[in-house]
Amino acid sequence: KASLGDFFTSMTTESTRSPSSIGDYKITGRDSLVFLVDASKEMFIKGEDGEPSNFDMTMQVVRTVYTSKIISSDKDLVALVFYGTEESKNPRNSFKHVYVYHDLSEPGAKRVQEVDALRGEKGAKLAAETIGSGETSLGDALWCCANLYSDIKLRLSHKRLMIFTCRDEPHGGDSVKDRQARTKASDLKETGVVIDLMHLMKPGGFDISLFFCDIVSPPEDESELGLQLQPSDKLEDLLKRVRAKELKKRALARLNLCLGEGINVAVGIYATAVAARKPGSIKLYRETNEPVRSKTRTFHTQTGSLLLPSEIKKAQYYGGKEIVMERDEVDAIKKFDDPGLFLIGFKPMEKLKLHHHIRPAVFLYPEEDEVKGSSCLFSALLKKCSERNVFALCRFISRRNYPPRFVALLPQNEELDEGKVQITPPGFNVIYLPFADDFRTLDPPQFPSASQTQVDKMKEIVSKLRFKYRSEGFENPVIQQHFRNLEALALDMMAPEEIEDLIMPKVDQIDQRLGPLVQEFKDLVYPAYYNPESKPAAKRKTGGAEKKPKVELTEDELKAHVQNNTLVKLTVPVLKDACKQFGVRTTGTKKQELIDALIARLRS
Amino acid sequence: MRKHGLKTAVVLCMDVGLTMSNSAPGEESSFELAKKVIQKFVQRQVFSETKIELALVLFGTDSTDNPLSQDGQYQNIRVHRHLRIPDCELLIEIENQVQPESKEGDWLDALVVCMDLLHTETKGKKYDCLNIALLTDLNTQTNEESLEVIINNLTQSGITMQFFLPFPVEEDKEGQGDSERRDPGHPGTGKGLSREQKKNMELVKEMMLSLDVEDGLDEIHTFRNAIEELCMFKRVERRPVAWPCQLTIGSSLSIRIVGYKAVTDEKPKKMWITVDAQSHQKDDVKRETVYCLDDDNETEVQKDDIIQGFRYGSDIVPFSKVDQEQMKYKHDGKCFAVLGFTKQSAVIHRHQFMGSQILKIFAARDDEHAGVALSALIRALNELQMVAIVRYAYNRTSNPQVGAAFPCIKQDSECLMYVQLPFMEDLRHFTFPSLENKKFTPSDAQLSAVDSLIDSMMLVEEDENGEQRDLFKPHRIPNPAFQRHFQCLHHRAVSPGTPLPPIEPWLKAALDRPEVITERCQDPLDVLKRKFPLTEVEKKKKLKTSAQIFEESEAKKVKEDEAEEYNLANIAEGSVTSVRIRGRQLTHRIEQLLSNKNTQYYMKSITCIQAFREQSVKLANAEHYNSYLQSLKGSIPNRGLEVFWELLVQGMICLFT
Repeated sequence: KASLGDFFTSMTTESTRSPSSIGDYKITGRDSLVFLVDASKEMFIKGEDGEPSNFDMTMQVVRTVYTSKIISSDKDLVALVFYGTEESKNPRNSFKHVYVYHDLSEPGAKRVQEVDALRGEKGAKLAAETIGSGETSLGDALWCCANLYSDIKLRLSHKRLMIFTCRDEPHGGDSVKDRQARTKASDLKETGVVIDLMHLMKPGGFDISLFFCDIVSPPEDESELGLQLQPSDKLEDLLKRVRAKELKKRALARLNLCLGEGINVAVGIYATAVAARKPGSIKLYRETNEPVRSKTRTFHTQTGSLLLPSEIKKAQYYGGKEIVMERDEVDAIKKFDDPGLFLIGFKPMEKLKLHHHIRPAVFLYPEEDEVKGSSCLFSALLKKCSERNVFALCRFISRRNYPPRFVALLPQNEELDEGKVQITPPGFNVIYLPFADDFRTLDPPQFPSASQTQVDKMKEIVSKLRFKYRSEGFENPVIQQHFRNLEALALDMMAPEEIEDLIMPKVDQIDQRLGPLVQEFKDLVYPAYYNPESKPAAKRKTGGAEKKPKVELTEDELKAHVQNNTLVKLTVPVLKDACKQFGVRTTGTKKQELIDALIARLRS
Repeated sequence: MRKHGLKTAVVLCMDVGLTMSNSAPGEESSFELAKKVIQKFVQRQVFSETKIELALVLFGTDSTDNPLSQDGQYQNIRVHRHLRIPDCELLIEIENQVQPESKEGDWLDALVVCMDLLHTETKGKKYDCLNIALLTDLNTQTNEESLEVIINNLTQSGITMQFFLPFPVEEDKEGQGDSERRDPGHPGTGKGLSREQKKNMELVKEMMLSLDVEDGLDEIHTFRNAIEELCMFKRVERRPVAWPCQLTIGSSLSIRIVGYKAVTDEKPKKMWITVDAQSHQKDDVKRETVYCLDDDNETEVQKDDIIQGFRYGSDIVPFSKVDQEQMKYKHDGKCFAVLGFTKQSAVIHRHQFMGSQILKIFAARDDEHAGVALSALIRALNELQMVAIVRYAYNRTSNPQVGAAFPCIKQDSECLMYVQLPFMEDLRHFTFPSLENKKFTPSDAQLSAVDSLIDSMMLVEEDENGEQRDLFKPHRIPNPAFQRHFQCLHHRAVSPGTPLPPIEPWLKAALDRPEVITERCQDPLDVLKRKFPLTEVEKKKKLKTSAQIFEESEAKKVKEDEAEEYNLANIAEGSVTSVRIRGRQLTHRIEQLLSNKNTQYYMKSITCIQAFREQSVKLANAEHYNSYLQSLKGSIPNRGLEVFWELLVQGMICLFT
């Protein structure tokens, strides 16, 4: 039963989603992913030169996906199911040779550990003991997966199933089993499950047309070359393919790009780069470690009665006055227009300044489902902007009651790698542009420029330290450490796994590569006595050790200050010196303490 | 704009006399315009919270109130407010108490009152700038004998002057016709000036040219231009904070540097506070957060009984603040260390810039050696078209970043520009369907329509002198959110109890497509509209009735039956003889199918039940069928299969009626 007070209490559950995840799950439901992994003998065959087996590689990928889900989308559901096993384990045990290792739920520390246990030499042994290799019925396996989905009480928005196998004819030509599998696959697809094949290397090559072409979901559009992919034989390749599919694109917003009166292109806004943060803490009850809910209530200080929203207003203090507004007025002030993008015009690309940066960009892609014809106009706009090397300048209101910003829409063409995997998708990158207020007036110090000899020496240094930058090359040490710590605590490990701080300069390597160049450069730019490491105060241009002349106060001056109550105007160092000078012992270092001590001394 | 930390005193001196109220029909009077200038100016000072001190002197007033008035001298001049930091009270007074009056005041006398005020009220204090702004239509009799003394006095005391007039100043006498041509917007000019105005204008010019200021005539403004300029609230200014550090390359090469935020997403300075609706006091409102268990009683938990935990996937890990502090990632504090160098083209993925700021890195002030060393680096990077990839940490408690330092060479200064780059965890590699798709490929005619649209909407164009002109510069526009915010605060301060005003027209215009572009793009837009059909897709959000689902599924079923025979067919048409056995197989299959709570599977179950029924009818043995259906019906609520049952009932009706 809810009391009146509760009704007006804004309730917030502490277990809010980590800010790094995007999209509102309440509205759209959860994402889910099932790994359906072949456990036949063939999967355990090691490659030449001790290359890891296909099974080993798959477990590595599963582990990576588990941990990355924990970090960036911990509400997604993941399952791990083996088929072609000797043992059977599934909810109603109605399917033979299907082993549900993890049913659909949020991955946690224990699951990561359990997947780890299946890796490497030991893992293969464990797998042989627990799941074994046996008969294969992909149809049963798919059916079992379908049950996993239907057992979930939560609303699922995106359902994906990935089959990892190196056998292109899993049933060895048994047409009944093949047919059953096809039937089950199409049942699954009808319920909205997307089936992908992560086919792995096998001697003689993997022929998709033998069987799997009827199992997997058709590509998102005809031109997608998904089926012509080569089987993966490298971990990075496999990881890249899984990564590309594993994340559901979730639009931050769907709105119109208005080119002019009545010309509205429907677009979705996607966040492709979001600063991953350490997730916030949860409050737990000490006795049971269960999460607690927080309730915030607003009440009147004097009467103690709860305040209704209508009994509260908002205020700002300016020019000696409290300026008061209604709460809805505070929102109304921010409203300029309805959400959307409005085209102002076009500019040549060089007009976009490198330093006009205020927040990470978002990505724009047409929404044919909202306005038919959007993709065609979008595509034409993209093509022409790219060809002519111009960007579109738009006014952008991202949500209701948000003030406008100007943005530059930068065309981005689709790019595929050698393996036909998309590296960059087609669409516009949306760059936020600063307003006049966002610039700070600086007073840059002026110095003579370096001479060409000096510049050339530095060029040698720069060339020695050249490397190929990759945006995925650096892990965030703060987040990694945080999750390692949690992992260690969750799994009762003695100590967290060590992390490598990838953004630490490799000083030894750098020194070694540069060799004598550093000294040569220093000889060119720094005089012999100059030491850039020393504290700034000691290396004034005058170079000497002379200190700032001390402001010594005479007793009379000090007394005058005491009388006029102007001691406050003196600085702490001056006050301290004065204390020393007049033999006043102070314990404190706070200004008021010094002043009080001086007054006490001089008045006495 | 004056430098920070310097003190400024300004006297606003406004003519409220008889002639100021004159106006041509439909035009605002000089009085109204001058009042607006003053309002905008004061508003700007109040909301930007500058420490400029302000006084307000009115002349042409009916009453006289100033220290110099004696023996009929300095009449009709009123010191409305003495030198003080402007506040909302002043805004309210200007709104309500500055009204047109009916006398005539000598502007030179008023000027003397202002000078006297500045002199006495700034005495003994240090000011860096003393200024008098005079707003008048110059339509008064003046005692010009004092002019020379006044000029001398102004020069001696270092007071600067600004004039705000209804009409522009003529720079030379032949310019008379010129002004008529160029200025329909300034009332008064068209009608020609009165004798007094002409005479006074000469005095103003004489004064401004004899003061020791460059281009003195530039400080004579018209009311309208002033309003336009003042409309924009002064941009939010913040004092740049220096960040001294050392740029390091390896262990033995370091350069002393200083960094400043140069561009950053500026947020409003003040937050809204919650106040009681009656008393408007924030102290009357208290917010309190309580914690409770997620049980039926919502048992409250004391603060002391709460510990901190974190989510690790599905696990919740208790992790005390102390432990967290001890185990967290630690580093050596502030740094700007080069990890290596890379080609600029490899990093300029504009869309991968992270964070909300750009830092500019200069050599440490007063350190010429650092200046040369940094210059060598900047120039080397510039010549090689490369950037430094650096580790940047603001201080010991902040998280380290990886970022790129770009060389930036301007005419008068060189610096590195630092921007944060993403971590692996930040990136989301989404794949999108290719747009190279037959369905969406635009035709040549469509492409050329887009081409002409771009042509008509180019914001950067070359004028006849070959110079580039940019018609729309967002970085010159003040943040409209701040402008609107202060406009509403001003309104609420001076006219409480009235609804908020609409957005000011100038602001709306500043955010809109430039008029020339709007005109130019009209035809190309019309063509575009014809070439690209766009139809909004109607949203089907209505829930389907079960009959509809059934019909759809029936239609689908026919197809399915053709395309694939599912296992049911094997069972139903196999060689099994007894209904009992068939019945058992069928019910087993029905149960299997019902474990999927999904319409598709429901439909299949129903088909099975129908098959069961048909078989029973055929063999005239309904016992098993009936008892199964009974038990199935009984189990419906427990298994949550109400939807299925409804479909079954509907389906039976559909098929057998």
